Amino acid sequence: MAAAGTLPSRRLQWLAEGVLALGCVGLDPTWLLGLFSLALVLVAGLKLGEARDRAGRRLVALLQLVACGLLAAQQADLLPSLLQLLAALLSLAGLLQLETGLALAWPQLLRRSLRVMAAALPMALVLFLLVPRVGPFGNGMGAPSGRASTGLSDDLDPGSIATLVDNTSPAARVAFGDDRPPPAGARYWRVLVHPRFDGRRWQRDADAESNRSQPNAAELLMDGNPDDGSAGGRDQVWLVEPSRFTAVPWDGRATSTESNLRRRPNGELRLLRPAHERRSYRLDEQSSPQPWQNQPPTGGDLELPRDGNPRLQALGRSWAGLEDPRQRVQAAEAWFQAGGFRYSTRPGTLPVRDGLDAFLFERREGFCGHYASAFSALMRAAGVPSRVVSGYLGGVWVEPLGGAPYLELHQSNAHAWSEVWLGNGGWQRVDPSAWALDASGRSGSAAEQAERGAAGTNAWLWLQRQWWGLDMAWSRWLLGFDRTQQDALLRWLLGDQRWALGWLILGGAGAGLAAGLLLHRRRALADLDQPARDLQTLLRELARLQVVPSPGETLEQLAGRAAALHPQLAAPLAELVHSHAARRFAPLAGGGETATRRRWQAALRELKRCRRDAIRQT
Amino acid sequence: MRSAEGAGSMPADTGPDQTWAERFGRVQQGESLRLGLRNLYILPSRFGGLWLAGAGLLLVVGIQTQRNGPFLLGYLLLALLLLALHLTHFNLQGLELRCGQPRPGFAGETLLYPIHLRSTCPREAISLRLAGPTSEGGSVPLRLSAGSRTLGLTWSSTARGLQRPGPLLIRSSAPLGLFVCWSRWQPARTQIVYPARHPGPVAAAAAAGSPPGTAEQDQGLEGSDHWHDLRPQRPQDSQSRLAWKVLAQGRGRLSKTFRDPAGVPLLLAPDPGVPRERALEHLSAAVWQRSQRGECFGLVLPAQSIPPGRGREHRERCLQALALSR
Repeated sequence: MAAAGTLPSRRLQWLAEGVLALGCVGLDPTWLLGLFSLALVLVAGLKLGEARDRAGRRLVALLQLVACGLLAAQQADLLPSLLQLLAALLSLAGLLQLETGLALAWPQLLRRSLRVMAAALPMALVLFLLVPRVGPFGNGMGAPSGRASTGLSDDLDPGSIATLVDNTSPAARVAFGDDRPPPAGARYWRVLVHPRFDGRRWQRDADAESNRSQPNAAELLMDGNPDDGSAGGRDQVWLVEPSRFTAVPWDGRATSTESNLRRRPNGELRLLRPAHERRSYRLDEQSSPQPWQNQPPTGGDLELPRDGNPRLQALGRSWAGLEDPRQRVQAAEAWFQAGGFRYSTRPGTLPVRDGLDAFLFERREGFCGHYASAFSALMRAAGVPSRVVSGYLGGVWVEPLGGAPYLELHQSNAHAWSEVWLGNGGWQRVDPSAWALDASGRSGSAAEQAERGAAGTNAWLWLQRQWWGLDMAWSRWLLGFDRTQQDALLRWLLGDQRWALGWLILGGAGAGLAAGLLLHRRRALADLDQPARDLQTLLRELARLQVVPSPGETLEQLAGRAAALHPQLAAPLAELVHSHAARRFAPLAGGGETATRRRWQAALRELKRCRRDAIRQT
Repeated sequence: MRSAEGAGSMPADTGPDQTWAERFGRVQQGESLRLGLRNLYILPSRFGGLWLAGAGLLLVVGIQTQRNGPFLLGYLLLALLLLALHLTHFNLQGLELRCGQPRPGFAGETLLYPIHLRSTCPREAISLRLAGPTSEGGSVPLRLSAGSRTLGLTWSSTARGLQRPGPLLIRSSAPLGLFVCWSRWQPARTQIVYPARHPGPVAAAAAAGSPPGTAEQDQGLEGSDHWHDLRPQRPQDSQSRLAWKVLAQGRGRLSKTFRDPAGVPLLLAPDPGVPRERALEHLSAAVWQRSQRGECFGLVLPAQSIPPGRGREHRERCLQALALSR
């Protein structure tokens, strides 16, 4: 017997602590929750080093479990989730070890921990699915911060870029509810809006990234009006790589119930999460126009510095006489298409003064930034409110072997286009880069085709994509179930009988608990070896004949008693007793094991048959 | 499986849960007890309360961040709590306890009280302890496998006579420590407790009724002090008893036999000069001491007298008479 003073070794709990520490990598310490989780993991570690009694060690296990949950609130991707699960499993095993107080082998402990968790899972799932969710109290938990990278930048200044380097690092991934990609022409994913033009650079609003943790007054929740057409909309699950912006890509038409997604009046979508984290969110596709599209332009959307780019201004003014803004756009399109513009990723830098003039009237080659920048400036000169939008265009449709198919956006998919205000038509997207399509070289869609050709050649890339497929599936599952979904589920289950929800939860939780206990009991048998399990089966068979072992009785005596009561069972029982003894005690060579097991099973079948006959006769 | 062992008096984890659990709940009576719904009590432990708070915290975080991870883990903690309620109860339910026949012991010293446990399934971390003013801290949580087993529980008594230990507290918090399940049982069987052994003066009564000069005096008993005789050696005889001189003379292998001198058999009696209980304690020490030395003695008590004798059985008889003396 072990002395009570000697608690089980700490190694298991240290291991859980290590896994937790690993899971903490990438947390944002400037966010309150991130700081709190780091502190919790630290406290658990210190307590584990210090704890001398059982109560202290128990507390460590609880702290670790809570830390797992806090981490799960911040990092919901597949890999962190797996780490969190492992940490939870290990800390539970540590707790079990503490209570059992015996030095069980690790695999046995882990199996036990898994068994206990599996037993609790049915009920946890019932609660998870059915207990009504409430919205966050107060302001939610916003998040500040800013580091990391993207292909996008605050300022769009194409004139200063001589060569556009292809950056193939991933930017974002998106999976769709029906696993079908959107048509190629609809793959414009807007991120940043640049309404301010100083003659050279297009800049975002000054307050766009300020005060990241709190939503601005002008920013709105996404939920809009769920009744108009959202029921048929498929959902999109986005996973966005770290960037410098809290603005995240979207198609400009979706809604969402997530409380930390905010729509700015100019159509930027902000996720109130640290930008340097990998972020995920879920949107519902909509067909109806969103409020930002009808947000009237301000004076700033027509602002054009008077000095600079005189030829551009003159050209723009020449179209100002056209009555309908649409006609002015068409005039510009015709002018571009007639101008022999070429798409080039190596246009060289433009002069600091009158750079757009140099592009429009001399070089006539450039990349998307040049076209969007020049076109938007022309439109302003022509009296049409306009702005530059940057984001991503296209993407590679990846169908991994397992998991969800998804659209992969790379930094090289970064793109810029224009938006013009067409009066009652609202803000409309115009992509002037497409007008250079005929000229040669690349356009957005050409780039996408080039990338599709390159895909799948690299084994590493292939492996990565398989992993990402699983990750997408996980994120979709984990993010997919929100308040709306729950509402739909409850409506489907209960209809209008909401009063029955309490009973449903109680009944469901009870059933879950019963299932868990049953599972636990059944699995407890799994700890036994094969002969022992087989013996349990035999004892159950005999119990049906009201023959139960009495204290101190051997199997042989028990079988003898059963045979005396039911003589027809004597032969198979004798065989079973003999066979059990052989399996238990006789040393068996290689194939002997399976042979005796087969004999055992045959005898058991015979016994069952005889038992049925016996019952029928009585 | 059948084994007898003493649950050592090691320091146990006597949490605050244990102290109040001891006082709460009806004490079951009888020779045996089968633990079931009617005699088991279960309440959340302090750790269970903390656990609930932890689950609540996770749910709040889930609500605030609208993430499913903390929701799932929070509900999992809640489900584990409810599961542990049943598992802890199952850990004790169905266990059968029966008193064994306790062996006598001395007051003021550790006594072993045997309990037979019978279980049809393996059980984890069960701790048993006999409550009582002087009982030791508790016992290590036991792991029981299916079958029966005998446990010696330690306790001690200050009073002599037929004593029963305080109620037995059987408790378990396995597997997760979230709930404490316990039952209290007063084992019916009494244990004979001899007076404590305190050396001191005892009165010696005259050995009346044994006339001097009888054969008994010469006989003595086989011992090791004085040479008595030679007899043919038997295989089990020690080499050291071999009469080497005789062997050297060629008279065969003979063993020496010895005898202890048989003194005047002493009759012990309580010293009238000391209080009665104290006198009994002195007698208890004297009986033990003389018996250890192999001396022949008898006992004279006000209501009972035991003729002189030797050996373990005689000693037990004397001590029992002391324990039950009125």
